[in-house]
Order: sequence, then structure tokens, then C-alpha cells
Amino acid sequence: VSDALLERYADLAVRVGANVQPGQLVEVSARVEHAPLVRTVARAAYNAGASYVDVAYADQHVRRAMIERGPDDVLGWTPPWLLERMRDFGAHKSAAIGISGDPEPDLLADLDGARVGRARMPELADESMRQVNDGLVNWTVIACPNEGWARKVFGEPDVERLWQEVAFCARLDEDDPVAAWRDHVERLDRRTRALNELRLDAIRFSGPGTDLTVGLLPASRWKGARSFTADGVAHVPNMPTEEVFTTPDARRTEGAVRATRPTVLNGNVVLGLEVRFVEGRIVEVHAESGADVVEGQLTTDERAGYLGEVALVDGTSRIGRSGLIFYDTLFDENAACHIAYGAAYAETVEGETAGLEGFNESTVHNDFMIGGPQVQVDGIRRDGRVVQLLREDVWQLPS
Amino acid sequence: VSRAPDITRVDRYADLIVRVGANVQPGQNVFVTSSVEHASLTRAVARSAYEAGAHYVDVNYTDPYVRKAMIELAPDETLTATPGWMLERVAGIRDGGAVIGILGEPEPELMADLDQERVGSTRMAEYGRRYLAAVNAGEFNWTLAANPTAGQAEAIFGEPDLERLWEAVARSVRLDADDPVAAWREHTTRLKARTEQLDELSLDAVQFRGPGTDLTIGLLGESRWRGGANRTTDGIEFVANLPTEEVFTLPDRRRTEGTVRSTQALALGGTVVRGLELRFESGRVIEVHADAGEDAVKAQLAADDSAAFLGEVALVDGTSRVGQTGLFFYDTLFDENATCHIAYGTGILFASEGFDGLGPDELRERGANVSAVHTDFMIGGPQVEVDGLRGDGTAVPLLRDDVWQLDE
Repeated sequence: VSDALLERYADLAVRVGANVQPGQLVEVSARVEHAPLVRTVARAAYNAGASYVDVAYADQHVRRAMIERGPDDVLGWTPPWLLERMRDFGAHKSAAIGISGDPEPDLLADLDGARVGRARMPELADESMRQVNDGLVNWTVIACPNEGWARKVFGEPDVERLWQEVAFCARLDEDDPVAAWRDHVERLDRRTRALNELRLDAIRFSGPGTDLTVGLLPASRWKGARSFTADGVAHVPNMPTEEVFTTPDARRTEGAVRATRPTVLNGNVVLGLEVRFVEGRIVEVHAESGADVVEGQLTTDERAGYLGEVALVDGTSRIGRSGLIFYDTLFDENAACHIAYGAAYAETVEGETAGLEGFNESTVHNDFMIGGPQVQVDGIRRDGRVVQLLREDVWQLPS
Repeated sequence: VSRAPDITRVDRYADLIVRVGANVQPGQNVFVTSSVEHASLTRAVARSAYEAGAHYVDVNYTDPYVRKAMIELAPDETLTATPGWMLERVAGIRDGGAVIGILGEPEPELMADLDQERVGSTRMAEYGRRYLAAVNAGEFNWTLAANPTAGQAEAIFGEPDLERLWEAVARSVRLDADDPVAAWREHTTRLKARTEQLDELSLDAVQFRGPGTDLTIGLLGESRWRGGANRTTDGIEFVANLPTEEVFTLPDRRRTEGTVRSTQALALGGTVVRGLELRFESGRVIEVHADAGEDAVKAQLAADDSAAFLGEVALVDGTSRVGQTGLFFYDTLFDENATCHIAYGTGILFASEGFDGLGPDELRERGANVSAVHTDFMIGGPQVEVDGLRGDGTAVPLLRDDVWQLDE
């Protein structure tokens, strides 16, 4: 990949994505394989006036060694220094840049799925979710192509081709990516305004293997590409992003749903996931592969089996248009409509979430794709009227 | 992109680091500090550590390019700041942890084009203070080992001959022995015997004489020679450096006199220092000259009030496996084991007896140096004679032509 492309993505992540402010502490989370982009991001962040760029490089091989050979009690343990690190970022109202792009999506596939599912740091996840919900941190997630990821997508380690696809999805191919992102963010904002005006009571998905109704809360609000911190710093949490999303009423999900794309979960590829909900809760899980990893995750806490997000994406999506399965949620969730079990986002709820019935709190949050040309999506209003939202992947509301 | 080296050799090296170096005990948290370029060895170390019964292996990867961006672009105060969570990590280390440092400079001259004063002053000061205090108190078992990289091979050989570097490293750390663990036991026993001989002499000073060098380093009544294996206060034996060929002690910070010329280059955090010459008076460096890297040394010496005083003197003879390779590794971990060396900056307190419980000011008062830096540089070689001076003024030859003069 050219330095120029790395710099375009890094600049976009720093200036539009995280929107790093002068004097801010910047956290970067990446894998060791992402070093080329991390280095460029660090320079861009310092050039934007960062006080310090704290890079945490994770290594899935080290994690694999832990899952394979570590003692039982370590799997759910959060080292206090890592928790302290996360708390520091909240306390300093930091910027955060996460880098996606799994170099070895199948690395953990041969391990005991239950141990893989339990190998988490729940206190860290809680703290991270709290900071997002309290709007403490201006953050973004971008992706760094690498050989393993390219092999997963294309069947061959064509990193250069993957860079071209990522550049297309993230609008780095535009003459002025910053201006292109401004337009794109505006368009998604118009969609969220239209949805919010409808005051929907539920969303219904119907298609092959899917007949699902997701209830919404009276306080549910739709959101697009842009978020604001509590202090009013605008940021774009995902680059790319094509979705508009909201918080469901965790008590009112009913029916069955079939995933339309694979999901990558802790290094495991979950294929052909089918889930059934009764009174909001997942009561049945089937999958062609990886069901045990999903089940492991669903038992991490009391509320893991309830929905925390519902999101709509149409066929104009650049990710959808690429025709690829990226095996990466950052991209694939932007190809199609999706739902997530686990934690809900406070930012898509009007008013206080503390004690709000139906607002789901959990230490997990996992998206999976349920939309596509064969899946119809309707909005159901409070008075029972049905509003068409998506037909054959085409957005039905004015935008 | 270099090919991954032979997996068996990496795994054997990792086992040596975990079992002989750090000597990881069942149930310990193992704190690994490494660099992104060293992922393959780091992964092998993590596997080996869990195999040895580690509870949790915490890998903190650094990145020299991110560091370079910081030195170049960050505000001044960032360069010496310690993130709060790093202090929490030190607390974790002190709470029954073991430490493994994976070193190796893939690009020894990466920082050469930066402002050397900024390069020299960059370090997490508070982290360094707390970490060194815990090391000096013998609170935990630790080791430092190096990962060979193509970049380092390029710097050494002028071509990225990683295989040749691996052979030199394997020989230096005795991985070429049939039973490396047994070879290390024998080796550390021999170094231990040297420390006993030296302690019996109760030396008052050590003297180096050679081209450009006429240096006398006073020792303390409390100075003790160390070498080979160390022991934590809990009795865990460990080898702090792989390789190690030195015996060393804590000098009297007040009594270094004369001049010294380095006999090898020195890799100093991305800058190579060549032709270093120092003059000492009443313990302190009062003159610095170098053909290259002078500013980086000066910046380090100015890091705090005590940086310009000695904290270590170490003896190495010609049987050193590192010396025998004839290579300059661009890595102090190796290069300091090629020949005799001294270090300016903080004192190696565990090479002393009777200083327990003293604060930094009391230690300095009694002749033991305390500083945030510690930099070794090489001053020995076949042309440099080393004598021990006893309290009554008699001289005991220690090294002639790189040959150890005491009976073995």
C-alpha cells in the first residue's frame, strides 16, 4: 500500500473519525499486524495536537496461548492495570481510534468454544461501554488490510486488492475524502430525521427463515454516522458506516431470524446462524458452525440474550455494492440490515437510561446481518399502520 | 519481509528465556515487554510461560515508529511523563509477577535524524524510578533477552542475513549446547566463583589502563560482586540477562577519577554513539567527547543530578561467547558482554550489602548512585589492563590480554 493512501485514511480517522482535539490523549487499539497504519495514525494524531498517543497492540496468538494453556480462572479476569488504563481514557476525555481487520479469523477455531467464549475481560468491556454511553470519548474504528484478512476475503493474500476495496468503502478514492464524508454524514442524518418523525413502535423483518418483530421504546431515537460526546465533540464512530440504528425494547423481540451473512466472533466464523426470540430473549440458537461460541457468549451474563441494537442499511451502501463478504463486522454490518444481542447504546435513547425498562445492559455486544434483497423491512407505527422502509434493498422513505 | 525462522529454534529459545532466564513459577503473572517486530519470539514466550504454569501473560508491545513520532512531534512534557496505568502495571509486577523483556533494535539508527536532546531525555521517569527500585530490592524474577531481526542483521553484516545473526545469538546464549539448561548451570556456577574470588580480595578500587584510558573507580565497603544467577528476596533464582558473561559491582559514586575511551560503539535508543571519551573528577563526568552521538550522551547525563556518576563496573574476559563472535550487535544486552564496561546512572544496588531500607538521598550520601538512567558502555579489550587495588595499596592483576588472572 502506498504511504499516500495510509496517510489519507489516517488523516480521515484523526480529523473526521475521532476528530482529535488539540491537547487530547489518544488511545489506539490495534493488532500487531496493523503496525503500518498505526504508525501513520500516530503521526497524524500528533500533527493534530495530541498530547500523547497510547497504542495498545493486541496479539491473538498470545490470547490463543492463554485460552489453550492458561488456568481456568484467568479466562474472565481483568488485569487491574488494563482497567486503570481504560479509566484513564475516560477521566481524561480522550480520543480513541480502534483498528479492525482480523489477520487470522480462524485462529481460535480449533479451540474449546466454551473457553473461547469465556475468555473476556468483563470489567474492561463494562468500562468501555460506560464511556461510550456517557459520551466521554470521541472515538472511531477504521480497518487495516493485511495478508490473512485478504486471504479470508479473496482466497488469496492479495493485500493490495483489499486496500482498494477498503479505500472504496471508506471513500478514500474521492478527490476530497473529507468533503465526501461530510455529504455522506448529511444524507444519513436526513434518514434518521425521517425515521424519528414516524415515531415507530416496532420494526418487522420478513424473508426466507426470517419473521421477526423488534419492538422499540417510546424513547428510542434513530442515529446515523455522527455522534457527539457529552462535551459536544462531533465524531464518526465507524469508517466506513452506512447504517442508521436505534435501541430496541429488549422485552419485545418476537419470532425467528436467519443471518444473511457470516459473523466473525472471537476469531470464529459463525455460519448460518438462526435464532428464535420469545418475549425478547433468545431461546434457540442454531448454526452450521460456531453455535457453541454464540451460546458461550449468550451465557456471559443475564442480559446477553436480549437485543441491544437494530440497524437499517440499503443497497446504495458502498460495502453492499462491493459485493464482498469482508468477514469483519465494521464492513459487513454496513452491507445489510442487522441486529445485535447484548448491550444497548444510550446515545440512541432520549433521556435517562438508568432504570429504563427495556434498555438492555450487558457486557457483550455482537452484531449479525439479517438484511438483503429478499428481506422486506417495515416500520409499524403506534396506531398499527405499516410503513414500508426497505423493498429489494431500496430505501422507501424520501431521502 | 523476512521468513519466519525455524520454529524449533524459536521455541527452544523461548523455553530458555522462561525457564532459565525468568524462571517463571507456577501461578505467576508474567509481564512481557516487547516490540511489534518481535511478535514471533514473543508468542513463543507466551506459550512457554503458560506451559510453565503462568497464571496470566501480559504482553506490552511497543513500536519504535510510534515512539519516533512522539519524540518528533509531541509536546515537551509528554517525553518524560508516565501514563497512570503504567504505574498500576508496576504494582502488578510487584505483586508476585515475573518480567521478561524482549529486546533487539530492528533499526539501530532510526532516531539518528531527530533532535538528540529530545531522544536522550525521552523516558517514563516515574515508571523508571519505581521499576528500578523494585529491581534493586530483588522483589521479582526477571530477564532480558534479544530477538534477532533482519534489520539488526543488516546493521551488523551490511546485508539482512538473519540466519547468520540467529547463529551468533544461539551461540552467545548457549542454545547450541545439547542441553542448554545444563550448560547454563555450569556457566553461572563459574561466574559465581569469580564473584567469590573478587569479594575475598575486598578491593578498594578497580583500575583500567590502555589507549586513551587511565581510570580508577573506587569501590565501597558495601560493594559485592555479582554474576551469573540472581535470587529474589523470596529465593527464586533467575538469570537477569541472556546472554551474560560479566561479573559486576556497585562503585563508590564519589571516587571515579581519570579518563576513559570506549572500545566499542554503543547503541543508545536508536542512536549509535561512537568514539566516546569521558573524563571524571570526584566521581562526576566533567568532559564528554564522541565522534557520533555526543548530544544523546550529554542529554542523558543531564537527565538528573546523579546521571553523570557511575552506577556499575563490570569485568568480562576473552572467553566470552559474545566477544568471541567478534560482532558489534548494536544491542547493549550483547555488546556489554563482549568486554569490560562501566555504566553511568543509577547504581546496581543488589550488588551491595547493608543499604537496605535507605532512601535515595541517604544512598547518595553513602556513595551509592541513584538516578533515572543507566547506560553501559564498553571500555575493555586486549589492550586494556585491569587491576584490583586493595586497601593497603597493593595491586592485583585481574585481566591481561583479555585473560582472567585469578585462579579458576
